[in-house]
Amino acid sequence: MKKVFIQLLIFCFIPLVVFGQLTEDPRKARTAKFALTNAKIYTVTNGVIENGTIIITNGIIEAVGANIAIPSDAEVINYNGREIYPGMIDSGTQLGLSEIGSVAEANDFREFGDITPHMQALTAVNPNSEAIPVTRISGVTTTLTFPRGGVLPGTAATINLFGYTPDQMFAGSKGVIMNFPSNRRGRRQTQEQADKARIKALEDVNAAWDKAEIYAKVQGSPDARYYPEMDALAEVVNGEMMLYLEANSAADILSAIEWIQDRGYENVVFTGVAEGWRVAEQLAEANIPVIAGPVLSTPTRDSDAYYTAYANPGIMQNAGVKVALRTGDTENSRNLPYNAGFAAAYGMGREEALKAITINAAEIMGIGDQLGSIEVGKKANLFVSTGDPFETATQIIDVYIDGYQIPMRSRQTDLYDEFLNRTPGLNKTKIITDGQ
Amino acid sequence: MKKLTQSILILFFIASWSTANAQTGDVLIKNATVITITDGTLENTDILVRDGKINRIGTKLNAPNGVDEIDGTGKFVMPGIIDAHSHIAGSSINEGTSQVTAEVSMEDVVNPLDVAIYRALAGGVTSIHLMHGSANVIGGRNETLKLRYGSTNPDDLRFEDAPRTIKFALGENPTRGGRSRGIQPQSRMGVEAMLRNSFSEALIYQKEWAAYNEKRGDRRTPPEYSLRMETLVDILEGEILVHCHSYRADEIYMLMKVFSDFGIEKLTFQHANEAYKVAPELAEFGASASIFSDWWAYKLEVYYSTAYNAAILTKNGVNTSINSDSGELIRHLFHEAAKSQKYGQLSDNEALAMITMNPAKQLGIDNRVGSIEVGKDADLAIFDNHPLSIYAVPLMTFIDGIKYFDKETDVKDQRIYINPESSIEEVKILTAEDHDRCMQDADYVDFFTLFNN
Amino acid sequence: MKLKREFTFRLSLFLFFIAFSINALAQSDPTGTSAPTSTYAITNATIIQAPGKVIESGTLVIKNGLILSIGTNVSIPEDAQEIDGTDLYIYPGFIDGMSYAGAKRPEAMQRPSNLFTPDPPNDYAGITPERSVIDQIDVTESSIESLRKIGFTVSHTVPYGRMLPGSGSIILLSDANHTDHLILRENVSMYTQFSGAPGAYPGNTLGIMAKWRNLFTNASYQRVYAQAYSKDPSGLSRPSQDRVIEAFYPVVAKEKTVFYNANSLLEAQRAIRLKNELNFNLTLGNLEEGWDLVDQIKESNTNVFMSLNLPDKPKNSTEEDKSDEVVDLEMKRMDAFNRHLNQFGDMKSQGITFGFSTMGATSSKIKANLLAIIEAGLSENDALSALTIDAAKLLGIESTTGTLDVGKIGNAIISTGPYFEKDSKIKMVFVDGDKYDFEVKENKSGEGVSATDEAILLGSWSYTSNTPQGVQNGKMIIEKNGDVLSGVITNPNGNSDSELNNLSFVNGSLSFDYAVELGGQSIEIVIEGDIMGTDFDGEASISQFNASWAITATKDAPEQKIKETR
Repeated sequence: MKKVFIQLLIFCFIPLVVFGQLTEDPRKARTAKFALTNAKIYTVTNGVIENGTIIITNGIIEAVGANIAIPSDAEVINYNGREIYPGMIDSGTQLGLSEIGSVAEANDFREFGDITPHMQALTAVNPNSEAIPVTRISGVTTTLTFPRGGVLPGTAATINLFGYTPDQMFAGSKGVIMNFPSNRRGRRQTQEQADKARIKALEDVNAAWDKAEIYAKVQGSPDARYYPEMDALAEVVNGEMMLYLEANSAADILSAIEWIQDRGYENVVFTGVAEGWRVAEQLAEANIPVIAGPVLSTPTRDSDAYYTAYANPGIMQNAGVKVALRTGDTENSRNLPYNAGFAAAYGMGREEALKAITINAAEIMGIGDQLGSIEVGKKANLFVSTGDPFETATQIIDVYIDGYQIPMRSRQTDLYDEFLNRTPGLNKTKIITDGQ
Repeated sequence: MKKLTQSILILFFIASWSTANAQTGDVLIKNATVITITDGTLENTDILVRDGKINRIGTKLNAPNGVDEIDGTGKFVMPGIIDAHSHIAGSSINEGTSQVTAEVSMEDVVNPLDVAIYRALAGGVTSIHLMHGSANVIGGRNETLKLRYGSTNPDDLRFEDAPRTIKFALGENPTRGGRSRGIQPQSRMGVEAMLRNSFSEALIYQKEWAAYNEKRGDRRTPPEYSLRMETLVDILEGEILVHCHSYRADEIYMLMKVFSDFGIEKLTFQHANEAYKVAPELAEFGASASIFSDWWAYKLEVYYSTAYNAAILTKNGVNTSINSDSGELIRHLFHEAAKSQKYGQLSDNEALAMITMNPAKQLGIDNRVGSIEVGKDADLAIFDNHPLSIYAVPLMTFIDGIKYFDKETDVKDQRIYINPESSIEEVKILTAEDHDRCMQDADYVDFFTLFNN
Repeated sequence: MKLKREFTFRLSLFLFFIAFSINALAQSDPTGTSAPTSTYAITNATIIQAPGKVIESGTLVIKNGLILSIGTNVSIPEDAQEIDGTDLYIYPGFIDGMSYAGAKRPEAMQRPSNLFTPDPPNDYAGITPERSVIDQIDVTESSIESLRKIGFTVSHTVPYGRMLPGSGSIILLSDANHTDHLILRENVSMYTQFSGAPGAYPGNTLGIMAKWRNLFTNASYQRVYAQAYSKDPSGLSRPSQDRVIEAFYPVVAKEKTVFYNANSLLEAQRAIRLKNELNFNLTLGNLEEGWDLVDQIKESNTNVFMSLNLPDKPKNSTEEDKSDEVVDLEMKRMDAFNRHLNQFGDMKSQGITFGFSTMGATSSKIKANLLAIIEAGLSENDALSALTIDAAKLLGIESTTGTLDVGKIGNAIISTGPYFEKDSKIKMVFVDGDKYDFEVKENKSGEGVSATDEAILLGSWSYTSNTPQGVQNGKMIIEKNGDVLSGVITNPNGNSDSELNNLSFVNGSLSFDYAVELGGQSIEIVIEGDIMGTDFDGEASISQFNASWAITATKDAPEQKIKETR
């Protein structure tokens, strides 16, 4: 009896074993050796492959092309003519550091103090933020998450939007954030007075950096004092860490260019640059890459044309500046492709706009060898769509991050599923009684 | 010399504005793709506008003497966009010192000099619903405007004969106000109680004045006159359309019950991020919703939102519009409406109806605007691409047949009044906080704590 | 015994004299400040009796406060002090259509500890139309002298306050011992402005407009009822005892004019809207932006006093290579400035007769502003009319003021040259028949405001801040390091001092901002105001919360360096 029983059990299990795993949980990401076939592949760096295949092994793109041999152990996914793009990169958000905007306890991007460059955004990222699935199912796979507030609010980090710990999410790039002292003019100030005020604010900033430069020289010695703020700045001074410098008005951008040239810092990226179009030539000449955005924004001056923010990235790019785009948003980082779309429509053109949210972003962050395009050897961060991702009618079918096929769900899609046809619907036999 | 000519031209332009707004215009748009909303999309079609009204829609129309012709070949014409929730063009937004302020009205604070008006025109918007803020349970009356930019007289922007509407608010905004001022309401329970109290008191007021009006002569004692109560009575009589700022499903449901009890039928929920959870109830009551395309997570009460809200509501038969509540978003409402194709795959017409016919119904102006039909006002927007495409660029905007925006002849600086003491280079950077103006003027600062810590 | 009697005698004599000291003419005056005679004859002067009515080599005789005679061949009374008017010019004294001259800003009300913001007490909310400016007038107020010095003899003074501060009265700008002696006409206007209750209802324009309608409508009903009640009260309950409502009765009856402090385009339109809806008499008391309002003003039958507070002239950049954009923007800004100047001549030519108001203007700049307005197109005669007879008519006092005519009050200006000439100075002013002399210096302005005198600014000031939470006191200290102004402001109750940012001192106007921490949030407070002598009068505001309140300060004694002027 027992023997029969065991045999029965084994028989029951065999079909399961033969057909692969136990029933897959659609809510879990999975990785395997994938062969994505029959797709129109936008590599970004090597043109468009009309009908191509991508092989993903161990999270890396092993092969890309029109006529690729498909390994026998690969799981083949036939995309039937859909389009594949590199995962989009949002070069400026607080995603992961903010859950609910108005609740102070739910926000971790702002620390007290003006000079706090050593605050690490990466470790404070909440990998389980509800906004992360919401964002990645729209094709944004990577973001630069940055701290705010004060002159030197902290160190930003680039993260992939999949992983259960910040280290699993870390995409390999960090940078110190600096908010360049801004030209905030008082109501009755003249130009000269405003300039003087800015000079004074700059003096304080310069004092901090002067100290950092000294510290950079002495930090190796065994008697060096513990000074974490200066430690962080010293890395920038030594060229070991990037500096993201936020400057928006034309006057501020020009002052900032002068400032970094005076101090000789090289690995610097300007962010914000809302009036970058006014000083595009100077930016190009100084060879400073920029992260611009949000594109969907009002003009900086009442006297400016209405389309100024839309046209800003295109004007800079046409002048020879390397431009990446950011939403500056947190929970709606998913609107990155639409920021790019508006930039495209108002002068940047589709091709450059796509680069601004893929390869340019990756290169600016120093990880252009790993992300930003579909090339052999790069990470498998991609998304599959029914068409042009800039168009709102396009649906995103699949997303891959680090070679993991991401569950195409978020709480917002779950709510759609639950409430599109609610059960019970309006239950007419249950009259609305006055609960009193 | 060039600069002199330029300045003369500019002065002429400004001068011509101030006479244009009270008038109506004529124009013939030829050979465009006309998106009527109510009667399909017509290819290669002409629209003739006379005296500010749509006179004829057809093919091979001829321009009468003196009527300008616009070549619409390759272009798309749709009804002027209507933003059902806006705070541009207003000098003040909230009378936040009391929780019931039905007596105040946004018609008193219209600011025709706001450059944001022009920027909205440049996004195809022709009418807005200038709303009181959401600090109060019962706020003030809103004002429906046409964006006739260029006048210094607020009366020129009035949408003549538009029904009166009023702002209510539920949830965190009014309760936050109550908590910081040490008065009711401080909970959603208190919000309901305040609504019921206000209506009940209005009924008593109505009785008192009815009794007074039955008598005659000077020897009858007048009850106290209260503009607040007068307005509440008008709401009870169905003469004022209620637009209620709300988020959570339970408070939306609560308001419908309160309105049922008091016999009020016309109701639009504003923002209504969780309306999708009670879509069947909304459809049953006949209430409408005016929502964001995808804003969420900025407050606790919107944490459980979904961008599929528009699709769910539409599919469940609720009249839904998409609004901006922002001087930035209003400029691309056509793009916001297009997001309903991403989240729920609504049809082209369903998407565009949410910024034309649907808000027109919610504001009670659908007999005048919201679609391209003969006899309606010639409020039109012309695009170079289908308005639901990301690449669509608005080209021209007409109100009453007069062109208020033309991309070709756009002059960058559109300010009407310039402060002589302003600086040339005044720079403003838009922050996240600038978007939600619903609480402007109402934020309460505890001065005691501020100065005495 | 003898001593006591003598003492008592002297005391009663002394008291006897004191009792009559008000009538300076009749008694001994140990201070020696009373005038030797109350009759004056200014001879051989150019007399401008009224705009366009000039008497060459004329004589003006003022006696006992009134104009006795005027002409080329008039007899000079025996008791007259003769003043040689050769090369001098005499004008009717100027009339200020609406100002705070003589009123002293009262202390701000303490915020009640359990303030119910939807329905605050009327006096806290600033709804006190039953009050009168007479109670605020302080004869020692320096504003009286400041206006008199530049030629003003009469002022329609309105009370400080918020939405409905009270009635305004017309006063003579004399140097008197008692308020009653200043009064020309009492409680002639209901003064109102778009100034909300601090943190309570009505907080801003929205609430104010609704409150106005409510008050007025209630007053309309109650007034009719009150009349019926007074005819025969039997069987009727008493009419409203509300003083606020009763204060509106004369406005409803159109016997009292509403004077609106509505200087911008939008505010003026809102005032006119209320007038058209409710139907009352309206005067815009200090209109600054009138050029687009001509039709509305005429159609609604509104009276206007134009503000003499002009914006500062924009300074264009002196850079060499200005971009087209900057040139264009500067030109537009200058056009906007010119519109402020051109409006006077334009409005006059389109049929609007107006007076002037000095409210908000710095008195040392008023003449320069008038000259600029004339250069922009208002004729000298029209300007003089607005300063004198037109203002008198608009205020209903043309029977006793506004021109130099026999029988009218002795209000006159004696100037070293034609008034509208840049370098002419006012040498003497007669108010109510009393003579006031002024030192005429060749250049530089007189005492009081020194436009760019930073010496006054630097040092320690004691401030009083009338915050909605109550009165706060503290100090602000302003210094100069090299080229840059800097300072600190102390916060009460042991909070740390705040640094002053964006410090600016231009043309007597001081502004700065500073930050205060509140619950982790940084709140920026902006202070702006004017320095007159050793007094600072300004406003503090927090833009995030749309809150503002008054702040005043006085220079602390040790650091004081007043220019020695006589």
